[in-house]
Amino acid sequence: MTRVRVTAPRAPARTPVRGAGRRVESREAAQDSDVGQVFVRSLIRSQLRLALVVAGGFLLILAAFPLTLLVVPGLADTRIAGIPFGWLLLGAGIYPVIGLSAWLYVRTAARNEARYRDLAGEP
Amino acid sequence: MRRGTGTLQVSREARVNAGVAITAVTVVSLATAIIGFYGLRISRTTGDFYVASRTVRPWWNASAIGGEYLSAASFLGVAGLILLSGTDALWFPVGYTAGYLMLLLFVAAPLRRSGAYTIPDFTESRLASRTVRRVTSLVVVMVGWLYIVPQLHGAALTIQIATGLPPWVGSLAVVVVVCLTVVAGGMRSITFVQAFQYWLKLTALAVPILFIIFLVAGHGTEPQSMPAVNPTGMPPAGLYQNVSLLVALLFGTLGLPHVLVRFYTNPDGHSARRTTLIVLGLLSVFYLFPTAYGLVARMFAPGLARSGQPDAMVLRLPGELVGGVPGDLLSALVVAGSFAAFLSTTSGLVVSLAGVISQDVLGGSVRGFRLAAVVSAVVPLGFALMTGSLALAGSVGLVFAFTASTVCPVLLLGIWWRGLTDAGAIAGMVTGGVLCGGAMIAGAISGSGLTPPWLAQPAAWSVPAAFAVMVIVSRATPHRIPGTMPRIMTRLHTPERPLATER
Repeated sequence: MTRVRVTAPRAPARTPVRGAGRRVESREAAQDSDVGQVFVRSLIRSQLRLALVVAGGFLLILAAFPLTLLVVPGLADTRIAGIPFGWLLLGAGIYPVIGLSAWLYVRTAARNEARYRDLAGEP
Repeated sequence: MRRGTGTLQVSREARVNAGVAITAVTVVSLATAIIGFYGLRISRTTGDFYVASRTVRPWWNASAIGGEYLSAASFLGVAGLILLSGTDALWFPVGYTAGYLMLLLFVAAPLRRSGAYTIPDFTESRLASRTVRRVTSLVVVMVGWLYIVPQLHGAALTIQIATGLPPWVGSLAVVVVVCLTVVAGGMRSITFVQAFQYWLKLTALAVPILFIIFLVAGHGTEPQSMPAVNPTGMPPAGLYQNVSLLVALLFGTLGLPHVLVRFYTNPDGHSARRTTLIVLGLLSVFYLFPTAYGLVARMFAPGLARSGQPDAMVLRLPGELVGGVPGDLLSALVVAGSFAAFLSTTSGLVVSLAGVISQDVLGGSVRGFRLAAVVSAVVPLGFALMTGSLALAGSVGLVFAFTASTVCPVLLLGIWWRGLTDAGAIAGMVTGGVLCGGAMIAGAISGSGLTPPWLAQPAAWSVPAAFAVMVIVSRATPHRIPGTMPRIMTRLHTPERPLATER
């Protein structure tokens, strides 16, 4: 029985083990130029902005849910199929919001990366 | 037949048939071991491992991540807490799921692209410092141990309720099964075991509660109590506690050591994101059921809240509301699912801890890994046997607060901020660890009833403090930014070349 440890190498700051190490090296060499770094910085900025916008939007909706229940009197105890609305909203209604935020993020993040590929002239 | 003779009052009709329950536990343990060994035969060499990482479908991978993530707290604790605290406790499942959203937004793809297999690997390569690596390893081991303890408490509780055996038998059984499978190599990065356990857990929660709901609706049973009525008369949690809990759960998920390992099985960053998207769907579906248990128990069996063991509610509800042979069988299913939860989370944690300990302390040999695996499982067993079980969801919530105060800042700033230095990372992790750990110890000493809210839920101030110290110290030591930083930031954020498998 052969057992294998899969970890990054112990020496600091070396290219970690990858399935295709050489390909990664050449990719990074192309990005070491000043122009390449400008593209990379802009990609990182747009991905961070996207993540913050989605997270912020989600947290706003999350805060709005209990606030709605507080502000509208009687809403929390209104029953739909025997279940109080407050339970439905917090126990089930938040999950579609999470899923939708995640889906929007994945789509837009992939688009940002596609734009970067076009700019950086990668295939 | 021996029954529980502890000081806890167990209502007679709510007991689980011991023979059926022991069979259920045995079957789950054997199935885990067998699937583990079978999987070992499939992936035996490094080459196989990498090839497997390309061929594992996102669905399998996502099920595996879900299986590893859904712990005793999710399976037993959340429903028990909902029974006790009503809609306040709904923030737990929401927070556990939304934590994965944060992981998707800020961590998933860059961490996959870093090529690191553990969190210490990541911090060492990002900050080019062995000292950072050691501090991170220490923090990760503490997080892992703290997280295993509630799993063992859950196992102790389940065994006691289900079979009447002494509680320590449950903790010991989980540790023995996990040690045997991990040491024999069976659980090593095996996607199938974890994926199987997600679906087992979902079935084991869904079937009994759906059965109960149909039964109750069919008989037209009148509810004994309204959902809004608190069965124990405990005061509701304040705004501060809910917010602090959400901070802990949202930021704590990012730093869990056993989560990162699973991302390595994605072929690239984009598929890491797609996998996380599926995980979110799986978690959303799963958490509907603990919520349903809590609601049904509040309406039809509020007496279970007064037993002093709200965590056992999920185990007792089928016996209480169904009874007879169907009740026994449904209870056995729940017991099986809960053991799947203890086993999968514990083994995931033990594997990732053993990786860290063996590499940093024991030189990284296979023998060292095995020794480290035993150490990683036995130390929390000692803790678990010495301490009594708190509310499971609450104690796991504290572990999330600890992770959010230590690992989360170093990951987030390491991925997104060029200015992070090794000195800043260490100062921040130590600050967060001391503040949050201190609050946890103070809370444990003063007893659960007397702890003021700010001490019981430290995340709201310990997480910002850790971030602030990390940023300030990094700002003060800009000369320590490693020269490899631009190259590593590029690797973290730029897409891999399109693979043939993509689209």
